[in-house]
Amino acid sequence: MLPDATAPPILSLRELSKRFGQTLAVDRLSLDVPRGSLFGLLGPNGAGKTTTLSMATGLLRPDAGTAVVDGADVWADPPAAKARMGVLPDGVRLFDRLTGAELLRYHGLLRGMPEADVTARAGELLAALGLAEAASTLVIDYSAGMRKKIGLACALIHAPRLLLLDEPFEAVDPVSGETIREILRGFVASGGTVVLSSHVMELVESLCDRVAIVAQGRMLAAGTLDEVRQGQPLQRRFLELVGTQALDAESLSWLRSS
Amino acid sequence: MAALLVGLQLRQYGRTLTRSPWAIVTLVLAVLGALGALGLVATTMVLLRVTLPQTGPDAVVVLGSTLVVGWAIASVLISADDALAPERFAMLPVPARRLLPGVLLGGAIGVGGIGTLLALLLTLIGWSITWPALLAAALLLPLQLLTCLLAGRALAAALARQLAKRSGRDLIVVIGSVLGISAGIVVVVVAEGVRALGSTDSLLGAVAGTLAWTPIGAAWGVPRAVADGALLPAAAQLLVALATAALLWLVWAHDFRSRLTAPIVSGGGGRVRSGAWIDRLLPATPVGAIAARGLRYRLRDPRHLVNVIGVVLLPLLILGLNVVMGTTVEVELGEGVADLGAFGDVGPMLLPLLGAIVLMSVGQLDTAYDSSALAAHVLTGVSGTADRAGRALGMIVLFGPLLTVTAVVTTAISGRWELLPASLGATLGTAALVIGAGSAISPWMPGQTPAPEASPFGTGSSGGAQALLGALLMLLVILTAGAPAIGTALAAAWFPLLGWVSLAIGLGLGALAIWLGVRLGGRALDRRWPEVLAAVTREH
Repeated sequence: MLPDATAPPILSLRELSKRFGQTLAVDRLSLDVPRGSLFGLLGPNGAGKTTTLSMATGLLRPDAGTAVVDGADVWADPPAAKARMGVLPDGVRLFDRLTGAELLRYHGLLRGMPEADVTARAGELLAALGLAEAASTLVIDYSAGMRKKIGLACALIHAPRLLLLDEPFEAVDPVSGETIREILRGFVASGGTVVLSSHVMELVESLCDRVAIVAQGRMLAAGTLDEVRQGQPLQRRFLELVGTQALDAESLSWLRSS
Repeated sequence: MAALLVGLQLRQYGRTLTRSPWAIVTLVLAVLGALGALGLVATTMVLLRVTLPQTGPDAVVVLGSTLVVGWAIASVLISADDALAPERFAMLPVPARRLLPGVLLGGAIGVGGIGTLLALLLTLIGWSITWPALLAAALLLPLQLLTCLLAGRALAAALARQLAKRSGRDLIVVIGSVLGISAGIVVVVVAEGVRALGSTDSLLGAVAGTLAWTPIGAAWGVPRAVADGALLPAAAQLLVALATAALLWLVWAHDFRSRLTAPIVSGGGGRVRSGAWIDRLLPATPVGAIAARGLRYRLRDPRHLVNVIGVVLLPLLILGLNVVMGTTVEVELGEGVADLGAFGDVGPMLLPLLGAIVLMSVGQLDTAYDSSALAAHVLTGVSGTADRAGRALGMIVLFGPLLTVTAVVTTAISGRWELLPASLGATLGTAALVIGAGSAISPWMPGQTPAPEASPFGTGSSGGAQALLGALLMLLVILTAGAPAIGTALAAAWFPLLGWVSLAIGLGLGALAIWLGVRLGGRALDRRWPEVLAAVTREH
């Protein structure tokens, strides 16, 4: 299904800014994510991707700017906006003294879902993500990839209309990665919208239909994959926009000598 | 290499301090505590030197042995937080023997190490009875400090493989907390036993005489023997002390070397019981889910388990103490006004109140224990009221029955069943007040806790200055709003019927306090979710 250009965007960020001490982490960043798109947020380390997503999901109060999800302002009407989103944050602990099954149930009930739905969906999600075996193991004993997967399951359980995933494929094995890709494609095909951050170009190029490139807290380019690529491979276009650190002939010469 | 490692340790300290002003306050509190202990040592040393100069050496031997044991226990308890663990050097092409001196010295940089050094310097006052003893003590001081440091390293090293498993770490935490809670009481019971056995002097001499020959006390035994002019025993004890240090070094160095090439990987604990009864007990709503999660954490997370044990153990330990020293307490009280005769029975009745007061940190710090996992509550859009109510419900379901049982047990031992309603009224009423006040305070002052998986005895275990301030506020609440229930409970010793009044007032005011705390705290939380999340996420 192609995104409908006339419909209002499902996620709309306007002039978001955040300063940490001397560092301007996000600088008047604006972004529209059309309904039904699979949106890739690209940027080098420290570009402000996680800070932006935190401000869009209610975890971090912006210094200025607004974030609106499907008509609900995240900072003016948090309950309405949060009900529409499923979020996989990065660098945040889970309630890891719960088992995988208990953690899923916890998220489902926190979302106010009926118990029967929670139980049924939790079972399906655990099976789909290959976590059924680990359902009664404490999350604290999970590997990094398993934690990503249970975090994704927690973001999915209330069937949100918008998914915001921070580095969803990090530390995930190729088999599970393919499962997650299938889940996301199916989710988008049925009318959902996904925003995911990554710095793996090949992944974004093969999965996403729209991309935005962020560096030093500013939006450098945004649009459909082809608009942003401008006929080049995404990797080259990305480096062109972000700028490379050209190594002169002298630097690190000692590394080559031996 | 040693200078580099000590510098590394110092820089890590400095960074912690510059990152959070609360860390500075916590450091100041720790330094004040250490200064208090040093003041005690100094006073004891000077007093003994002036009044009983011959007892000084005996006291120092006991103090020294205690220091060694203390270092050993403390190192095991905080071994999870070791900033200079061998695994961190595993990737570097540096042999263990070049790392060891620096790691040992680096571990001494801190309130504990510096405090120990100062305490050892103070003991020189005790040795100043003869010149040879003073000289011997001054020469042996480095060995004494080394024994303390190595005892800690060696025991932690010997137990490292066990501590690497999560179940092992959890067990250590539980044992450590029981030790910590009962430490003061054990000292009193031992002292009481000593007093019962006979004169303190001769016993101290006998204990010191024995310890002086053991590995933990030999380093202090040498100057003691020198003071007595017994040179042959002094030489023998010097051998014991040197052998001890050498052996401890070997144990630690061997472990360090092997962990450089075969790092210990922290392991898991396998499957856990589902505890489905918790889900059946509580409603399938956000409030019920938060309460159920709280219950599971109280039983599974050692940081919470420590508090649960404290709530029950503290009143029972004091009661046990009361039974051991029962006669003395009654005699002392009996000498007062005749009316106070009934007071002896009030004591046990009010003991569960101590458990309720332990709850102060539980209520206020509950959010902080979650650390960044609290993000789940923010992301799912749980209302502040549901968050507060769920936490309060989880505490009521667990601590209500626990405190009730404690009250029944203490009443059974005191034998005055007619005072049970009074005991319950004071205890449950105060517990509810504390839970309510904690709910209201914590969005503003979440406090500090040890990070998940960190040692509960390491940084932040005191809750920090915010917890201290919160405790003061809650004490104020107990003294004012808690006065009716506690007052009528006390009066019940003379008019037992007032016990029922206490129970009614306690439960009524308690319910009101929880309702109010949930409302106020919930409203504050709705406005401050991101700020609270940032405060509890910060690494201390």
